[in-house]
Amino acid sequence: MIDNFYELQPYELDKDAKSKLLTKELLELTAFHKERCKNYSNYLDAVGFDPVSVRTPADIPFFPVRTFKDVDLLSIPREDVFKIMTSSGTTGQRVSKIFVDKETAMIQQKVMVKILSDYWGKKRLPILVIDSKATVKNRDSFSARGAAIIGLQVVAREMVYALNDDMTLNVDIVKDFLEKYSGQRFIIFGFTFIVWQSLFLNSNALDFSKYDLSDAFLMTGGGWKKLISESVSQDVFKQKITETFGIRHFLDHYGMVEQTGCIYAECECGHLHASIYSDVIIRDPLDFSVKKNGEKGLIQVVSVLPHSYPGHSLLTEDEGIVLGEDDCPCGRKGKYIQILGRIKSAEIRGCSDTYADKLERQN
Amino acid sequence: MQINLKDRIKYLTGDESILEKSDKIPALPMFSDIAVGFLADLSKELLSIPNIREHLDVMSYAYWIRKASIEKEKQKYNLREYRLGRGVAFHIAPSNVPVNFAVSMTSSLLAGNITVIRVSNKEFVEVSTICDAINRVLAKEEFAMMRSYICIIRYEHSDEITAFLSSICDVRIIWGGNNTIAQIRKYPIPPRAIEMCFADRHSVAIIDPEKYLEEDPSEIAKKFYTDTYYSDQNACSSPRIVIWLGENEAAKTSFWNALNEEVKSRYEIQPVQVIDKLSTFTEISMKMEGVRIREDISADNRLMVIDIPSLVLDSETIMDYKMNSGYFYQYTATCLDDILPILNKTCQTIAVLGIEKKDVVSFLMEKGVRGIDRVVDIGDTMGLEFVWDGFKMIENMSRIVYIYEK
Repeated sequence: MIDNFYELQPYELDKDAKSKLLTKELLELTAFHKERCKNYSNYLDAVGFDPVSVRTPADIPFFPVRTFKDVDLLSIPREDVFKIMTSSGTTGQRVSKIFVDKETAMIQQKVMVKILSDYWGKKRLPILVIDSKATVKNRDSFSARGAAIIGLQVVAREMVYALNDDMTLNVDIVKDFLEKYSGQRFIIFGFTFIVWQSLFLNSNALDFSKYDLSDAFLMTGGGWKKLISESVSQDVFKQKITETFGIRHFLDHYGMVEQTGCIYAECECGHLHASIYSDVIIRDPLDFSVKKNGEKGLIQVVSVLPHSYPGHSLLTEDEGIVLGEDDCPCGRKGKYIQILGRIKSAEIRGCSDTYADKLERQN
Repeated sequence: MQINLKDRIKYLTGDESILEKSDKIPALPMFSDIAVGFLADLSKELLSIPNIREHLDVMSYAYWIRKASIEKEKQKYNLREYRLGRGVAFHIAPSNVPVNFAVSMTSSLLAGNITVIRVSNKEFVEVSTICDAINRVLAKEEFAMMRSYICIIRYEHSDEITAFLSSICDVRIIWGGNNTIAQIRKYPIPPRAIEMCFADRHSVAIIDPEKYLEEDPSEIAKKFYTDTYYSDQNACSSPRIVIWLGENEAAKTSFWNALNEEVKSRYEIQPVQVIDKLSTFTEISMKMEGVRIREDISADNRLMVIDIPSLVLDSETIMDYKMNSGYFYQYTATCLDDILPILNKTCQTIAVLGIEKKDVVSFLMEKGVRGIDRVVDIGDTMGLEFVWDGFKMIENMSRIVYIYEK
């Protein structure tokens, strides 16, 4: 029962206690989805799953996140679908579809609030979103970006979009926001590359020195690779942001639409932390064996949030490292990780020029 | 040719004069002495390259075009017929099989055509090795005449250039699969021109388990490795499924274990290929009840073997879920009739072990099967041949002049 988790602080459990709680919950979820989702049940049979052999979260079967593009996975009747979250990802034109009912949506929001309040306190804060309203409005392309913004709405006292629909900076709106909240605690949220391009590179559009952003948090997610391709490292990014805006608190995060709510947020030490609601297992691509801390591999994520769809154990297409467990100087228990980015596409041999043939097959 | 097109074409062999005067260059007779001699010399030239063994595909090609091999092929044709090239043959080579352009060129030259080949923009060392060798042979005075017949080019994607080359050709040969074919077919060819398209195909291995058990497992594994992993199991001719004619667990286990040994010592795989395979397996296992992964064999992700209970899924077949890089379906059949659903138009090669090739052909003739253009022994799927995808390549690229005698 997820209620057992709510009584705990999100980073309170050490390795053994967390493993025990998580294993039990994930086993229950596996049985829950097996009963309600025929596709998932077929899959468990195909891999010869036996619940009796499960000792740790790593023993729960996983499948690739891409499967949400290939199969509609629901553990609820279609009429109970409250919203469908989609993400295009990188492979092909087809989108992932995540079917969320009211219960799962509520769980996602609740956990998101619990995790974030561990970083900036229980109070709801004003959020300046470095993105356009169009990103959220367009239901056809309800992207990971859109989903992240929507997810934050529940923790926001007020949400203001800093960019026009054409992604240019709306100077008046930003000015109004800063006039109102200068010196207070608030959040600036955006995707790393967009923050850099639309905010930092346009920072002379208004006089930031007039405002006090020393208690503000800059919350970013993903997009480092694109910045690094422009020769901006994470350190340079932070340094420039501090110099220009006086921002001192940074909160990068890792997460995905398939496990919305369970974000891996960055602490003061620059580490991304797994909360009690989820965990990361690093796998060797050659045989899926579990890598030791410090070793690079494919990132598997488990989460106790998905109830309306069987997304509680997924293999991502990202590579990463578990840096340590229970011993981050910030005091948070659990694993802390580093994301190395998306795996490279391969150049394989063969007669057909379109590597992604299978991906373009009509459904 | 328009000046703006000229500047955008890079010539690896030949120059723009060939394209400009292409309709004035005489076609050659089929198996002309000069073309045979040129290929024989190219073979020697390639085999004399010191480190040529590092490129097995280039070496196999060189062997394939040596004088004795071509003379032998020539004997299969009715040489009393008057055959000559159709004129200009425009080849679009695939991007992921470096030596394919040379194979296509070989039939085209033997048919007697002025041969224009667009090779991929990917810089394969195999392509430059062969083109350099061609240029060295063409530089010899005895082959001066051949210089007008070979033009190997590269260009960035360009509608105008493809349209232009299509407009001057008499035969268009499109490799690279369905999407490339759809793309190139936007550009018309002249009314009299013909087209040969090499679409996406799949291939199948059929094994008699009792006969298999009489063989040396590691020998068979080496052959099957060549059939599959050598081209990332992504060639049209690479088997994607192994059909056992009769249940025999000992044969299956031995076959896959031996292949696993071979794979472990030779094959390298990228994480994305592993994800692709796992994704395909997940999808089919979710959609088709009764699918089982062979955990005992598939612990190393370079080899995935998946038992399937059926070849058909609604309106699709299991071949609509084919994958590459060491991803095999396994199915047990009692007779060839059982596998008819996957012997459709997209089925190209049947690789057999312990089964008479003629029996397979008799079966498909009797049933009027739409697919299967080729039946070979396991180990021979990658062989270079003058018959491909149901075409006699040289004859198709040439025309016959018929004398009517009363």
